[in-house]
Amino acid sequence: MSRRKQFLENLDQDIREHIEAETQDNIARGMSPEEAHYAAMRKFGNVIRVKEETREVWISVWFQQLLQDVRFALRTLRKNPGFALTAIFTLALGIAANIIVFGVLQALVLRPIDIPHPERVMTLEPTNKDRGMFFAYPEVRDVRDMNSVFSAVAADTVRSFGLEANGATRQVWGYEVSGQYFEVLGIRPFLGRLLERADDAHPGASKAAVISWPAWKSLFNADPDIVGKTVRVNKQTYTIVGVTPRGFYGTEKFLQPDIFVPMANATELEGIDWLESRKDGYVFSIVRLKDGVTVAQANADLKTIVARIIRQYPKDEETLSVKLAKPGLAGDFMGAPVRAFLIAVMALAGIVLLAACANLGSLFAARTADRAKEIAIRLAIGSSRWRILRQIVTEAFVISILASACACELAWIALTAFANWRPETNAPVLFAVQPQPSLYLASFAISIFAGAIFGIMPLRQIFKTDPHDAIKGGGGQSAAGRRWALRDVLLATQIALCCVTVTAAFVALRGLHKSLTADMGFKPQNAVLTKFDLALAGYTKDSAEHFQRQLLDRAAQLPGVEAVSYSNTTPLAMDNSTEVFFSRDTIDLRRTNEAFVAPFYCVAPGYFNAAGTPLLEGRDVSFTDTAKVPAVAVVNQEFARQMFHTEHGVGQYFENQLGDLVQVVGIVADGKYIFVSEQIQPAAFLPIAQRPDTSTTLVIRSHADPFTIAAAARQLVRDLDPAVPFDVSGAWSNQLALQVLPAQAATVALGIFGAFGLLLSITGTFGLASYTVSKRLRELSIRVALGAQAKQIISTALGRMLVLLGGGALVGMALGLAASRLLSYVVYGASAHDPFVLAAVVATMMLAGVLSVAGPVRRALHIDPAKLLREQ
Amino acid sequence: MSTKEQRERIELLQGTLDLLILRTLVRGAVHGHAIAKAIEFNSDEVLQVEQGSLYPALHRLIKRGWISVEEGASENNRRAKFYKLTAKGRRQLAVETSKWDKLAGAIARILRPAKQEGES
Repeated sequence: MSRRKQFLENLDQDIREHIEAETQDNIARGMSPEEAHYAAMRKFGNVIRVKEETREVWISVWFQQLLQDVRFALRTLRKNPGFALTAIFTLALGIAANIIVFGVLQALVLRPIDIPHPERVMTLEPTNKDRGMFFAYPEVRDVRDMNSVFSAVAADTVRSFGLEANGATRQVWGYEVSGQYFEVLGIRPFLGRLLERADDAHPGASKAAVISWPAWKSLFNADPDIVGKTVRVNKQTYTIVGVTPRGFYGTEKFLQPDIFVPMANATELEGIDWLESRKDGYVFSIVRLKDGVTVAQANADLKTIVARIIRQYPKDEETLSVKLAKPGLAGDFMGAPVRAFLIAVMALAGIVLLAACANLGSLFAARTADRAKEIAIRLAIGSSRWRILRQIVTEAFVISILASACACELAWIALTAFANWRPETNAPVLFAVQPQPSLYLASFAISIFAGAIFGIMPLRQIFKTDPHDAIKGGGGQSAAGRRWALRDVLLATQIALCCVTVTAAFVALRGLHKSLTADMGFKPQNAVLTKFDLALAGYTKDSAEHFQRQLLDRAAQLPGVEAVSYSNTTPLAMDNSTEVFFSRDTIDLRRTNEAFVAPFYCVAPGYFNAAGTPLLEGRDVSFTDTAKVPAVAVVNQEFARQMFHTEHGVGQYFENQLGDLVQVVGIVADGKYIFVSEQIQPAAFLPIAQRPDTSTTLVIRSHADPFTIAAAARQLVRDLDPAVPFDVSGAWSNQLALQVLPAQAATVALGIFGAFGLLLSITGTFGLASYTVSKRLRELSIRVALGAQAKQIISTALGRMLVLLGGGALVGMALGLAASRLLSYVVYGASAHDPFVLAAVVATMMLAGVLSVAGPVRRALHIDPAKLLREQ
Repeated sequence: MSTKEQRERIELLQGTLDLLILRTLVRGAVHGHAIAKAIEFNSDEVLQVEQGSLYPALHRLIKRGWISVEEGASENNRRAKFYKLTAKGRRQLAVETSKWDKLAGAIARILRPAKQEGES
């Protein structure tokens, strides 16, 4: 550097002196001073060029020309702000879509949970989907004791707790974890210690609790002396022994837990004894593979363990089967659809980017064609083709880098908003999608890729430009529109790609519409739910009943209440449970003999009325259906159909999982129970007097303002016992938010892509159509002058455009239909063979086509040959 | 910016000019203007060097370490930069000269028979 500077500094002086010396020589030869100076200058040559060339010796020529190109590109873009803004905006949206999707994909799928050696941590998962996603605790314990492949095996389950701290009772979410949980994770505590094997040795072994970093921060004001303090969890006194590290969010990615307690105390905490039951699944299981053990070896070991368990407990474990899966999204149960959906969306985002590139590519190609004369002149005066191409590619990169900067900003805003978004649900749903700096890198990489793609589109044009022809032919007018050009192919590709996004958007929209208007078997409109669990306030099932009856009486007195009742939970809530049902004559109650597994609800009289579920036959449950009288149930039509092979099952009997006979006293309409997207399935409603439950959902039907009703209901509960923590309380429709969330998310995401794709295809078609017309204006004018009809003019000018549009749209629709099968993972009733979807796509594409060619067609039809021929 | 043919011609000239400069400096340090003069004079004014092109060439040679610069006074006692061959440059001159001889010889061999054929 310094050497270069030193030599270059005196260059001006050197040159001046050189010319001075030459002038002196010339004067000595007898010239006049003026003449001598000019002769010297002539002999020296172009001073500025000499300086530039000398400088280039030192500065890398490549770099200098690059700077020149960038400067030139910026100047060109400033001169065409319309073109520049369109190009940057188009590309920025395309890139932003990609990084946003990539950010979400990275956070939810690619990035492992923040623990040491996360690749060694796996989750156990039942391969038999009928068993759901949970294990019974003894099953996990068996795996823990029998295996030789895991260094630690733990069970964990997500529960809500009533936490009394600093004089207030809050409902918080946390994990009940078995002794080796933190051993599996291998994390170090932020403060104090974590739960250990000894804490979980036997029920009541320890009353130790660990809180999460966010809970420590928000619930305990980051108290540095938190370790050793006591809190009350579900009315039990617990000592806080430690705080988990900051980045740790538990083992399920969507959830942010506040507290961890030993699973051994589950019975005491929940009032239900499930720890020893092999009948029902309640827990997730995570394991850490021993060093050197492969997944295949572990799966093989699991197989032998499962075989042993089945031999030992043939009745309960007959259907047990276990495999390893990636942790974080309830194994593959949720992980598979989430991954499939994200990958599908990623593909769509890629398509949108490609379409944007194709769009910009044809824009660039058209611009290069317009600049054919300029390029020809530059070639003629000695520029190299590479140099011209490089300059155009530089322009492309300048656009794409500016676009990527905009895209980063957009993506950052969107992801931050998404990470801070809390859907209205009763669970602490968390989207840990905080944007990572690595996204900048991704964005930059994408922009370079995009720039390269559309930048080299005009390559062929530049290389075939012949300066003679271009200058003679007045800018290559004769060539335009004759042969199939690259930009035609690009346009067709782009339309096909856009058509895919439009189809996907319509499929999603249709699915959302279906799931919103689907008959759910109850009417969430004008209903208010208030949900709480009395176990969290220390009630038993028996004392809970008294509380619930009192609450019901008081709620019925509220003004504006049309119907009121309660149940343990409601359909489509997150805490639905299922039970096994047997047909009447089953003696051996093993899983393979069961009639079916169905969701069940413990309801108080009047529930069907309050929920808006039509009672089709028979009678409602009653408070006289107590444990002292024979068991009865109300079932839905599907239950009767499957159990009794008739829709009229009143008076018939079935067996519950304890082997008791239950008589059907009423039939209600079918509905949706676990997912909005589910097929029709059986469901049972049992009288809560026979199946008491501490978990309570008060259902109030009223046309009054749901907010007021919910507040009044909460006040009633507080009047009865101020220590009861609320789960959720509000309009029923709001509480279904999480149910329609996937469909909504899909529709919003795909809708945006669809709209964007449509926009791109309109601008792309419009651009190319008007370009074609303007290029052939002279030819068309001559045709008009010779008496061509409107139809002939249009078919000459834009016939090929229409072929391209039609062909592209057809290919796109075919692709879109094939791809939308993926959508059925998330969107209820997403079928691509829906005539509505097909019609909508065709109509949209036609409308887009008409919109985009209308302007150019008008222009072609209104050609005034006299005017044009005069001008050119 | 140049067409292909022009660039090739310049490259040939550049290489040649470099060689001529090196040759001129064999006899000792010379300043810029004097180099141009010497080349013209020694070639019996056949080679009309565009004097400006000397400077990029000089800087190229400096960058390669074949010549060095020192300040001094010119014949008419003015401050001037004197360019001087380095040891590396001297070696390079030998290499370039033999290269040039080979090239000239080869071209001559190719051209002469062709010429004879054309004449006969």
